[in-house]
Amino acid sequence: MGKNRFRVLLVILALSAAMVSSSSAFDFTKIEKQVSEKTLDNGLKIIVLERHDVPVASFITFANVGGVDEPKGYSGLAHMFEHMAFKGTKTIGTKDINTELKLIAVEDSVYMLLRSERLKGNLADSAKLVAVEQAYDKARNDSYEYIIPNEYSQIVKREGGVGLNAGTGKDQTVYLSSYPSNKAELWMAMESDRFSDPVFREMYKERDVIMEERRESLEASPFGRLLDELVSAAYKAHPYGIPLIGHASDIRNFTREEAIAFFKTYYVPSNMVVSIAGDVNPDDIFKLADKYFSKIPYSPKPEPVTIIEPPQKGERRVLLKDPAQPLFAAAYHIPEGTNPDWPAIEALADYYGGGRTSLLYKKLVKEKKIAAEVGSWPGYPANKYPSLFVIYAVPTPGSSLEEIEQDIYTELDKIKNEPISPEDLNKIKARAKMNFINGLRDNIGMAIQLAAYQTTYGNWHQMFKELDKINALTADDIKAVANKYFSEDNRTVVVMETEKN
Amino acid sequence: MSKITSIILLLAVVFIALFGSTITFGNELDNLQYPPLNKIEIPKVEKVTLDNGIRLYFIEDKSLPIFEAQVRINCGGYLEPADKIGLATICGQVMRIGGTQKWSGDELDELLEGIGGGVETSIDRTSGWASVSLLSDYTDLGLEVLAQVLRNPVFNEDKIELAKIQERTQISRRNDDPFPITFREFRKKIYGADSPYARQTEYATINAITRDDLIEFHKTYYQPQNIQIAICGDFNQKDVLKKIEKYFGDWQKSEAKVPPPPKVDYTYANKIYYIEQKDAPQANIMIGHIGGFTLDKDYPARIVMNNILGGSFGSRLVDNVRSKEGLAYETSGRYSDNVEFPGMFYAYALTKNETISKALTEMIKQVKSMQIDTATVQEMKFGKDGYLNSFVFNFDNKTEIINRIMTYDRYGLPEDFLFKSKEAVEGVTASDVVAAALKNLHPDEMQIVVLGDKDKFDVPLEQLGFGEVITVDITIPSGEVKTDLDVTPEKIAKGKQVMMAAINAHGGADNFAKIKSISAKGTATFITPAGEMPFVVESIEQYPDKACTKVIMMGQEMCDIVNGDKGWQTGQDGKLAPKSAADIADSKLDQLRDMVHIFKGIDEPIYQPVYDGEGEFGGAVIEYVILLDQNSKKICRLGFNKADNTIVSSSYWGKSAFGEGNIEETYENMTVFDGVKIPALVKKSLDGQPFSKFAISEYKINQVIPANIFEAN
Repeated sequence: MGKNRFRVLLVILALSAAMVSSSSAFDFTKIEKQVSEKTLDNGLKIIVLERHDVPVASFITFANVGGVDEPKGYSGLAHMFEHMAFKGTKTIGTKDINTELKLIAVEDSVYMLLRSERLKGNLADSAKLVAVEQAYDKARNDSYEYIIPNEYSQIVKREGGVGLNAGTGKDQTVYLSSYPSNKAELWMAMESDRFSDPVFREMYKERDVIMEERRESLEASPFGRLLDELVSAAYKAHPYGIPLIGHASDIRNFTREEAIAFFKTYYVPSNMVVSIAGDVNPDDIFKLADKYFSKIPYSPKPEPVTIIEPPQKGERRVLLKDPAQPLFAAAYHIPEGTNPDWPAIEALADYYGGGRTSLLYKKLVKEKKIAAEVGSWPGYPANKYPSLFVIYAVPTPGSSLEEIEQDIYTELDKIKNEPISPEDLNKIKARAKMNFINGLRDNIGMAIQLAAYQTTYGNWHQMFKELDKINALTADDIKAVANKYFSEDNRTVVVMETEKN
Repeated sequence: MSKITSIILLLAVVFIALFGSTITFGNELDNLQYPPLNKIEIPKVEKVTLDNGIRLYFIEDKSLPIFEAQVRINCGGYLEPADKIGLATICGQVMRIGGTQKWSGDELDELLEGIGGGVETSIDRTSGWASVSLLSDYTDLGLEVLAQVLRNPVFNEDKIELAKIQERTQISRRNDDPFPITFREFRKKIYGADSPYARQTEYATINAITRDDLIEFHKTYYQPQNIQIAICGDFNQKDVLKKIEKYFGDWQKSEAKVPPPPKVDYTYANKIYYIEQKDAPQANIMIGHIGGFTLDKDYPARIVMNNILGGSFGSRLVDNVRSKEGLAYETSGRYSDNVEFPGMFYAYALTKNETISKALTEMIKQVKSMQIDTATVQEMKFGKDGYLNSFVFNFDNKTEIINRIMTYDRYGLPEDFLFKSKEAVEGVTASDVVAAALKNLHPDEMQIVVLGDKDKFDVPLEQLGFGEVITVDITIPSGEVKTDLDVTPEKIAKGKQVMMAAINAHGGADNFAKIKSISAKGTATFITPAGEMPFVVESIEQYPDKACTKVIMMGQEMCDIVNGDKGWQTGQDGKLAPKSAADIADSKLDQLRDMVHIFKGIDEPIYQPVYDGEGEFGGAVIEYVILLDQNSKKICRLGFNKADNTIVSSSYWGKSAFGEGNIEETYENMTVFDGVKIPALVKKSLDGQPFSKFAISEYKINQVIPANIFEAN
């Protein structure tokens, strides 16, 4: 075994010595120099990466708002708003906006009556409930008469836009699309419109769609159920512990008024970044941005979440009885992504559970064959605030979950007790470099990264410094974080055992 | 009160409607002027064919210091025998993880991860694949590794086992996630459950795969004339070609031909299938029938038809099932095609149990509408202009471009197929779309697959008018090796005869009848890939139904007790805990399989010996007897050496410390104690993989048994 390893090392060393060509010499600052930025008077930051090889461009709106910012009783609202952002504006998606708005107001007032009656529970007046339900159905159908369904998306598609989508996280909401590059102005017009003048049409029906999304992504998915238990057990106070998609009862009771209030607080130019990558001219883009996005008025940047998760005082364990086959997950509290310890934690995750040569894969999958899949990743469910380091394992049939759990800790102890070898440290750095380069490939990935670093650090240049942080790591740094964060008291474990109904 | 409210609301609505309709809005977006699109520079693909038939495709791209290769091999799961489904998948996996003549699989892992790169291989239903992705500094190494995995895989046994365990894990979990169940069962209804386009791996088909099978499959199809390699990235074509010659040039082509994928026989039918999933929080619906071929004349019209029917916002399925009715988050539908075998037409939705018939009705309505309602101007803009306006995105990724050219070449499509399709789409009219729908869609003859909990459905499936509801059983079959046993009086007589000869050879029925209990001591060893793990075992069997086994492993004592219908086992806390009913049933089965128990009780009704022919084991002729219980259920299959009638093996489907499977026990070192001959060495294997041996150092018959040893105290 030791001998074999030596042979491979020789090959790697030989290769490194012979390395004279491109990648070592590749100038990453070249890409950095293709990036320009501008801040509009209302505080909106625009970032442009110029790349002219193909006449296409990707467009990102990165809103610094997510599940963590939801008020109590409104879990899932950030995601709900993301859905509403595709419903159109005062000029898109309607046959007659004035009439529609009046009908929406009626729909709202009847809905509020219905809502308060329903919330009475057992004490609700059933006759009244039926009548209000009927009135509400009518009001809703009336307002829907004036809708052109999905017109917003239809325009994007017919003009050649692709990949129109959005994603909500605990920390942020990202809106993405790509167009032939001559349609930049269309994107400007439509994107600025939906964030200055949105109409939350079909809001109440959309809650049903989201309930189906919840069933699909969380309730029907074994991993969804496992991770939901994990975060809710790991967090007592911080909203990272609340499911991103929202509690079912919250989703059912959303009101349009609250969704609008949420939008007005968080979707302000000072809290958003626009990022564009592709065949565009920055000056043209800045002019267009000024023309279209300046109509959104300035508003102060909303406050970050003030809740601080208290330190965990002892291991928390959840036994989840589930119809699916067994699964295992554990989580340790780790700091936020901007913490100086973060690069060492990322390196630890790669060494511990990253690839086929990681400690966990070698021990549990290759050697003992008790897990079919195993891994570790830092930053769940997000990392703007103190986060979790998650370890998971998929047992092979008949394997013991106790043995898997024990091996997971034994491998972790190795990192705590012994500094990792120089070869393993180099491997982590080589993998990080390849990851970084892969991240530069496509326009959409670049646009997202630039916007994300701008939002997190207030400076997109940080993106190009990440690799330096990993390269500066020593074996002691990794050992130090292993001992600092990975204690039993700081751990939450979820064991999923099979129990058929 | 309630009445008044609704009347007031009614008035308000009417009022607004009267005045509202007079206001109209022009859409300013229509007035935008777009500059002309910059020229699309379509990168040139260089093609080279080596003397041995390997076809090469090159696109140079200096934008990043990366070297990438995509390899396609003419083969696929369709070529594997029906009793070895999974052979191709495992072959594709082990080519890489099992290592090559030059490097072991683990060495490859270290080597590639050490430079942040990757080389991967796989085989799907209709193609073999390999890929290389690494920094361009390592181009030479990447090509050498690629050549090694394609040409010289060694199919290491341990890694075959790893791949098989991974496959078994997948099988065991395949009913955990609802939508993949629905999709897979739907696929079976379209292509047939045994079709290479739909069939699935089972424990039995995985267990049947041997290393020789993998070697043979690889040798037959991985020949240079079946291989295409597409290379993309930062390189100099001349240099790379030289390196490829170095690593692949001396590979001699073979004459073997790869049979084409089989044809599909499909008969349109209107049937409804139900998969019961009481635990599923959401129901699934999938409807459709067989699809078409890529070279069909109306392929361009179908592109527009698909866009209008389903997929994105603005399509009929999404607008109606999702946006208008709020019935689903996920709904989609398309008529798909392949070059060599037909695609599928399908539409699906994930909706709650309580709205299943509503969603199904709406979906069928939308499929029908494609034949009735001519696409509107808006829909044509969306479905046709959208395709044309986004055409440039066919060229924004060089890997995609080169893969497309490779695919066209593989299937003999013209290189300008994409451009020809675009020209044809430009000419598609709304009536062409209706014609395509009329020709290709059969809304009244669809296979309907529904998953969910029928007790919660809004309308019973029987009442939907699709005829008898056919329940689909998705129980996962165990991997038990089934022997076709034709029980005849002759075989029973012969079985009994072989058993009696064995009992005599082992000391005679009288001596076995005297045995009341056996106390044994010895060392057992678990054989694991990580090495051998020995432990001390002490057991006491009191016939017919009591046993106590003590095991000392790493200083810790663990105990297992069976006492009739009761049983206990040491738990995690080190204390005895009652066993579950299932565990007790397993223990009782184990007792039935105990050699002494069998020889003592061969006349009891619980044992039905049936002769099962002759075979060979370790150079000796073996006679087999299958023991059935009174319900004709198999207990085990025993093997006896024909020369001296002694027992050599017992095989059965059961549980071990390493999982459930086909267990085989072999008996060695026969030793005489108190007149009976008992094996002093028992070896066990699971699905052909040895996992334990038990060497007995001491056998004592009819010893004094400590009081209360079969109780939990």
